[in-house]
Amino acid sequence: MATQGSQFDFAPGFENTRLRIAWYAFISLLLAGGAYATYLRLTQGMASTNLTSIVPWGAWVAFYIYFVGLSAGAFLVSTLANVFEIGEMHRIDRDALFAAIISMAVALLFVWIDLGRMDRMYFPFIWRQLTSALSWEVHAYVAYIGILVTELYFSMRIDLARLANRLDGVRGKLYGLLALGRLDTGDPSQAFDQRWLKRVGIVGIPLAIFMVHGGTGVLFAVSKARPYWNSGLFPVIFIISALLSGTALVMVLYVLRTRLFDGESVDLDLLEQLAQLLMGFIIIDAALTAVEALIAFSSVHPHEVDTWLVVMFGEMSWSFWWFMIGFSWVFPMVMLTRRSWRRTPWVMVVAGLTAVIGIVAVRFNIVIPAQIIPVMEGLPHGSYFPTPVEWGTSIGIVGVGLLLYTVGAEVLPLTPFSEGDHE
Amino acid sequence: MSSSDDDTLPGIPNVGKADLDTMVENERPDPREELADVEADTDLGVAMAEDAQRVARGELSGDDYWDRYDEAAADEFGEAYHETPNPAVDAGDQTISTETAESLSCAVGSMDTVSTEPAQVEGDDSGNGIGTGDQKWGMVIDLQKCVGCDSCTVACKSENRTPPGVSYNVVMEEEHGEFPNVTRTNVPRPCMQCDNPPCVQVCPVSATYKMDDGVVNIDYDRCIGCRYCIIACPYGARYFDFGENYDDEVDEAGELTSPEYGVDRGTREDGKSPIGNVRKCSFCTHRLERGEEPACVETCIGDARNMGDLDDPDSEVAQMADSSRAFQLKEAEGTDPNVYYLK
Ligand code: SF4
Ligand code: SF4
Repeated sequence: MATQGSQFDFAPGFENTRLRIAWYAFISLLLAGGAYATYLRLTQGMASTNLTSIVPWGAWVAFYIYFVGLSAGAFLVSTLANVFEIGEMHRIDRDALFAAIISMAVALLFVWIDLGRMDRMYFPFIWRQLTSALSWEVHAYVAYIGILVTELYFSMRIDLARLANRLDGVRGKLYGLLALGRLDTGDPSQAFDQRWLKRVGIVGIPLAIFMVHGGTGVLFAVSKARPYWNSGLFPVIFIISALLSGTALVMVLYVLRTRLFDGESVDLDLLEQLAQLLMGFIIIDAALTAVEALIAFSSVHPHEVDTWLVVMFGEMSWSFWWFMIGFSWVFPMVMLTRRSWRRTPWVMVVAGLTAVIGIVAVRFNIVIPAQIIPVMEGLPHGSYFPTPVEWGTSIGIVGVGLLLYTVGAEVLPLTPFSEGDHE
Repeated sequence: MSSSDDDTLPGIPNVGKADLDTMVENERPDPREELADVEADTDLGVAMAEDAQRVARGELSGDDYWDRYDEAAADEFGEAYHETPNPAVDAGDQTISTETAESLSCAVGSMDTVSTEPAQVEGDDSGNGIGTGDQKWGMVIDLQKCVGCDSCTVACKSENRTPPGVSYNVVMEEEHGEFPNVTRTNVPRPCMQCDNPPCVQVCPVSATYKMDDGVVNIDYDRCIGCRYCIIACPYGARYFDFGENYDDEVDEAGELTSPEYGVDRGTREDGKSPIGNVRKCSFCTHRLERGEEPACVETCIGDARNMGDLDDPDSEVAQMADSSRAFQLKEAEGTDPNVYYLK
């Protein structure tokens, strides 16, 4: 790729056709299962879940905050290139932005399927409540998606224009359309893009940190009725674990797309930079979580202590020890310790994937345990494990995300044409 | 068993039946005196009453009775009579033939249909809808009087026709101390109708809000079912309606619904609110508007529950809520409930 010769060829998709077929077959399986589960969800209503009035929020909410976090994390990684102008990071900023957009779409699908009245999903734009964090969040998400799309546009516009100029027929038209007709590839137009990329990114950073993901943390933290969430540190941990998962995701995508789609070799310096970033976030995340737990235990507040005991020793404590501690902190940390491993692409893919999966457990361990201990002594205890319908729909929604990402990666110039465009 | 007046059963005081009948007769007001106080024709009233007794004894048929009096009553009461349901016309067990029923000049349907009409349409003073009263409804529950029988929970379920898994009221039972010094407290828990309700604070679409009379309303037509309010309520007072029914236990369980918050929603059907919404105790707003107490208050066998206007310093509830025995649940939350307890 990235050829500038007369026989211009642009094929950003899979290098290996067999792999492509296998991958789409896999996604189709996810989608088929998801479609059936969604059918059951729609016909049986919320009774198809294991949710109750005691545990009203379950897997869908956990996945929703997970993907919001993934998106915020990936976006913040993209700003390393677009706002802070760390040169090598430019290679991955479109990957990060595109993944952030898809993650938000997936997150909103989870919010939607979770509503008791799915047909009323547009109501929050008609009626509002100034004191409701959720009301604010819905609007912040829309603004944030707007920022992401704008960012991706300015980051990619120049290459879209190049494609539109060089390709004929439908494809050329398509890229021209995506470039919104701005087909100028000269330096001034590029400088214009860079300027706006930075400006919009600067607006996006506080939006992503405080409104989108911090705000999602606030959603929980304002619940005075649930002391486990009701802490000032809570939204901060939310953001750090978002950065953790976002960095891990971008690292995985970078390696996989470079190898499988572009057929190029991985830039090991860039890989190591991402790996170091990930290491830093793991340390901060683990430390802050430990502080949070310490504060909880030393408060001796019965509700808070009991909730932590549920997390650590309850029915689902395996998800805490194996996935939260193991997958998101310990396993990737071990793989990140040696410099030679940090420079080995496949090790970093595994490390990144474990972190990406581990943070799912972090989100489950945020949402569910606080609902297990009753809000008042004398009320029944909760217990919850998702039904097959909840798992199935979740897998299907993730499948939609994978499909959107793959199609996008096969069509869009996510890898910049020539190095140094940004400088 | 023979029914002679002189039969004595061990342990049962001997009260002659004849004596009882005399007592009733003495208590009975004189019909003419009573009717003299009202504008309507006394003779007609007495005649109708006497014939009604004959109908009861089976000496006269219902049809004959109404043939005899329909016209006279219509003349006497005019418009009011035309609008009044006829007690003899009823869906299931009507006591007159259909022909007679149809010929009556007071044909607004059975008593049944009128009594289940929503409170909202009652009276002509529309404009001030549900919850606009200037009182502040409050409940005081005397824990010394509560015996933990759960009658309130049952009365609430049948009044509000709540589905399985939804129970606006529960009685929390707490045991304290160690054997042999154990005490047990029963704490009934309706919705507290908090003055600073966290549920209202978090609702993204303002579907739940506080009404002028202090009751926290849920607009089932607006609620999107996000369940954030369940998360926020410190009293566990909110329930999600998963759409389950008592169909296995009761035939046509969903036929009747309660006109909660003054809105009649007809039969319970899939995909129709309040299924997919969050529900909670409304202090039986629909009953309050009719001047009735909430079902739990009315049914309480120990008279532990009291309902009234907290803004009226002379009201019983205001005085009880002011007493040194009074407290609220989770006072530290700052929710300031309008349900008080007496320890
Ligand atoms: S008790 Fe709960 S549901 Fe009722 S008003 Fe208070 S916060 Fe809202
Ligand atoms: S479930 Fe309904 S009433 Fe409760 S917060 Fe959501 S929209 Fe509001």
